[in-house]
Formats: sequence, structure tokens, C-alpha cells
Amino acid sequence: MPQQLIKVRPTKIELVKLKRRLSLAQRVQKIVKDRLSILTMEFLQAARDTVQAKKKLVDDLSQAYKALSIATGYHGYLALEKELVATESEVKVTAGLRNIAGVRIPSLELRENVRSMRGYNLIDTSSWLDHAAELSEKSLEAAVELAELQRGLELMGMEINRTKRITNALEYMIIPSLQATINYLTMKFEERDREEKARLKRVKVLVARE
Amino acid sequence: MAESWLQEEKEFPYDRMLRECLRGELKVVNAGLPRNQKALTGLLAEEYPQVVCSDGSAHLFKRKELEYLASILDSNEQEALLLPVLIELTGNEGQAAVICVGGQEGKLVSKILDMPVIYEKGRITLYKPQLALLRKKLKTTTQYVFSPKIVQ
Repeated sequence: MPQQLIKVRPTKIELVKLKRRLSLAQRVQKIVKDRLSILTMEFLQAARDTVQAKKKLVDDLSQAYKALSIATGYHGYLALEKELVATESEVKVTAGLRNIAGVRIPSLELRENVRSMRGYNLIDTSSWLDHAAELSEKSLEAAVELAELQRGLELMGMEINRTKRITNALEYMIIPSLQATINYLTMKFEERDREEKARLKRVKVLVARE
Repeated sequence: MAESWLQEEKEFPYDRMLRECLRGELKVVNAGLPRNQKALTGLLAEEYPQVVCSDGSAHLFKRKELEYLASILDSNEQEALLLPVLIELTGNEGQAAVICVGGQEGKLVSKILDMPVIYEKGRITLYKPQLALLRKKLKTTTQYVFSPKIVQ
């Protein structure tokens, strides 16, 4: 595709200005490309981690549900519901932000609750219920990790798209058009020089004839 | 003639746009740099371990990562290790450098990558796959620095 020339006056000052613009554009391109490469690397890493975290969460939850269903079978649904009615407890998550190459990504961490009791009667319940509760608590950690990773993935994806647009604009539009205009002006000046030389030679011949 | 020239300048304000873009990009990519680094021992003692970034936001460290670092280093090294560890990107796309204030960063990187590392002018040069591995282990305790060398 022929590059569009920038409308400028064909003067040497304009040529200098264009060269300065080109160098500035190349500097911007360098930093944007570096940022894009870092974001892509982090995005791929986050994608791999997300797959692992999702698998871990599914495994943990399936184990927890299995254990709960065994406990339900052992105690009976109504008895278990009666025991678990007052066991709700708050989950503490430390939430903050971290910055990856200009993208603010949430950072979540489950705070360990130091609890001696889970809230149900230990005399009326069995170790099956303890096991189910333990597995459910374990799956919470994977859920928090997955939430952090997925949000990070979304934010990084959006930023990669934006950065890619800037890189493409610089790589395929701005820099080529600047280079084409510089080439055009350089050729024009060379042509002018040649014309000037030819004119001088012609004048010299005419003067010599007279 | 002068008016048409002015119009053309309005149509193509490349210089200003590019300069703003460069300034903006540098500002954005380095927004996560800490105003001052903190020692590992100090951070372990804090309830919410964090540092203030150059844009005024807080960068939170994960306690698990801090504990992992503490398990690698002895007490003197823990005192000397300043967090977040800075990873400098120097324009060479395939490489990055870990900035070493003391020897503890080297020990850390060597332990995580499971290979010996070489210091050169206070920097440990890493290649992209190694960088990915380091970042996988130390997500919140490392931070990228986009060096001004990139744009020179």
C-alpha cells in the first residue's frame, strides 16, 4: 500500500522537523512495544495460572460436596441442617492493588481465621462433617485466587488491545508516512540540486559562446 | 498562504501528540514504582504489608510471598532486602535486569531459578523465560521499571 504523504512545505526546515518527529515516534514505539511484550507475557502466565486455579477449585469443590453428601447420609438432612444453622462465619479477604506495566490489577488474599470451633456441636456430629467443613474451607482459597486471576486477565486483555492499537498505528501509519514524506522531500531537494547544476552548466556554455 | 499553512499545522499536530504520548506512556508504565522500598523484616511485622507508589496508590504485598522470601533468607539478609525488588527493562526486548542493592537479591533469584547468577554493574541479567518464572513466584514482591534508556 502506498504511504500517504504528509502535506508540508518542501523546505529544509520542514525536513528537519519531520526527522525530529520520526525520532520521537520511534521512541514512543519502542516503549509501547516493550510494554506490550511485558503485558503479553504476564497475560499468558495469568491464563496458565487461571486454568490451574479453575481445575483446583473444581477438584476442591467436588471433594467438599462428596464429603458433605456422605455427612448428610450419615446424620440425615434435617439433623445436619439443624446443626449447621448457626455456623455461618465471615470470610476475611485482604484486598489491594498491584501495578503491572501501568495496569492496576486486584490483589486478593484470604486471611486465615484462627478458630478453635466451627460453630456446630461436636458431640452430636461425626468426623465426616469435620472433614466436609475442612474441604469447604480449603476450596475458599482457590475461589479467591481464581477471582483475582480472572479479573487480572480481563484488565490485562483490555490493556493489550489498547496498546496493540497504538503500536499498529505507529508501525503501519505514522512512522511509514513520516518516512515516506522524508524520502519524498530528500528526493525533491536532490532533484532541485541537479536542476540547479544543469542550469549553471547551461549558463556557463551560453556565457562561453558570447 | 500563511493561513493555509496554519490550517495544515492544525490538521497534523504530530509533534505535540507524540510528545504527549511519550510522556503519558512513561508516566503510566512507571506509576507502580514505589516512592521508597521497605525491608522484608519491617513488612513482615505490618498487618497489611504495603508500599506507596509514585502515583500515590498503595501496592499490597501478599503475606505468603513475604513468608516464602523469609524462608529463603537469613535474618541479616531479611533486614537488608528491600521490597519490591526492581526489574529493569532496558530496551533490549529479550532481556531484563534485576537491580541488586546487596547480594540478597542474587541469592533469591538464584534460589528461585535454581541456577547460578552473574552480577554485572549491580544488575543480574535475565532472559524472558527466566523473568516469567521469577514473576510467577514473586508476583507482588517484584516490580517493573521502564528505564529511560529505552527511549534514548
